[in-house]
Amino acid sequence: MLFLVAAGLQLVFGVQKILNLACGSFYALGAYAGVSAVTWALGHGLPAPLFVVALLAGGLALAVIGPPLERLLRTIDGRDESFQLLLTFALVLMLEDVIRFVWGPAPVQLRGAYLVYGQVTVAGSTVPVYNLFVIAAGGVIALGMGLLLTRTRFGRIVRATAENREVAAALGVDMRRVYRRVFTLGVALGTVGGALVIPATAAVSEMAIEVIVDAFAVVVIGGLGSMRGAFAGALIVGVLKAGAIATWPEVEMLAIYVVVIGVLVLRPAGLFAGATP
Amino acid sequence: MLELRDVDVFIDASQILRKVTLSAGESEAICLVGRNGAGKTTTLRTIMGYRRPAAGTITFKGEAIGGLPTHAIAARGIGFAPEDSGVFADLSVAENIEIATWTRPGGRPAAERLALAYEIFPRLRGYAARGGAQLSGGERKMLSIARALALDPDLLVLDEPFEGLSPAIIPLIGESISAITRLGRTIVIAESNIHHVPAWTRRLYVIERGEIIFAGTLDEAHRDRAVLRVIGGRAS
Repeated sequence: MLFLVAAGLQLVFGVQKILNLACGSFYALGAYAGVSAVTWALGHGLPAPLFVVALLAGGLALAVIGPPLERLLRTIDGRDESFQLLLTFALVLMLEDVIRFVWGPAPVQLRGAYLVYGQVTVAGSTVPVYNLFVIAAGGVIALGMGLLLTRTRFGRIVRATAENREVAAALGVDMRRVYRRVFTLGVALGTVGGALVIPATAAVSEMAIEVIVDAFAVVVIGGLGSMRGAFAGALIVGVLKAGAIATWPEVEMLAIYVVVIGVLVLRPAGLFAGATP
Repeated sequence: MLELRDVDVFIDASQILRKVTLSAGESEAICLVGRNGAGKTTTLRTIMGYRRPAAGTITFKGEAIGGLPTHAIAARGIGFAPEDSGVFADLSVAENIEIATWTRPGGRPAAERLALAYEIFPRLRGYAARGGAQLSGGERKMLSIARALALDPDLLVLDEPFEGLSPAIIPLIGESISAITRLGRTIVIAESNIHHVPAWTRRLYVIERGEIIFAGTLDEAHRDRAVLRVIGGRAS
């Protein structure tokens, strides 16, 4: 689900040139909202196997914070990148406090949902069916994003805007509307990513920072602003993490950063730089 | 159709345009001539809303448009082809042209507007599926104008449509622009070389250091010593 967070980061950076640290917070918020939505829905008689519906709804519902946040970020449009980093990092800290205020400081877990679909044995190891569902969902969303960007009018306008916003405006494209939608889509990718991951783990208020670090590794490996890069980078980071945890858990972070440094030295622009976003 | 009156524009602290006044009537082609850095591009970019005039008024079809956002100006019916063409390399030629029909759906039907764009620039028809990055400089200029035309504008603003092109292709593009004027569209062209100014240009404005120093016909400009000193020295 790292892919979703990184994809949201890429999309917003590619179009708005805003490096949005707060994408990690959207992930955390999505996770908490997912827990709350599922708990509420199960409490109101939703059959357990349908919990993913509530989960996704909880994640998606949070995308409503997109437009107001986009409005806030627009105040620094065109200024130095350091303003973006400061403001989006401030958002990270503020949203972390919002989470503590609403859900409390203790980790929140979604009990009993993870194994509802049972487990299957794949290539000799036991895998919860839910994990397969998450993998499939990631693939479907990646494919959907690809189709959205290459096959729809909105996607083509987004790509045109990403490439040359001044010319796009002269062709009648309302930047503000495109930005608002793209940013909200970026938020939704993050919140849905957070919601999807939560049955398998626990929501903690610090998860925003953790995922930002990983998302940046993904973006550096894949190339900033590239959607395919986000997908490939997320796969690389995911496999590396899993492999490291299975063999030497101590080097989990180290392994990722060795690759990040390798990419920075050999291909500073990232593996997929310049490719279609 | 379009009128600028006493327009002042500043970029940072320096004044780039001083009391620029010019007008283009309905289905008239006018040309703004000046050396590089004289203020041509700034004038056009101010018309398009990229720059906000500090003083003066800009009216289009009787409405004040100074200070409006660029997309709103485009929506009122002004098409723009920038100096660097601004072709979207990431999109195909057909997509480049089509965008303007999505963003401004009113007016003539999209199919008619696209057909007209390809009719004016037939060479683009064969390249429709190509990526914007695979075009030559001249083809980019064509695409840039075709795309502005697909917006179905009443006024086309073209920034140096002949700049950097081979002598073989200049008449081709000139003929296409002339065909657009025959459709009854108003055209404002910026040009740095007076010898590139098409003969069918109704009126000529010469800009120097941000000020309009001459307004008149092409013939009058050729007889004006001050004008020739600024922009066409060696020809006389």
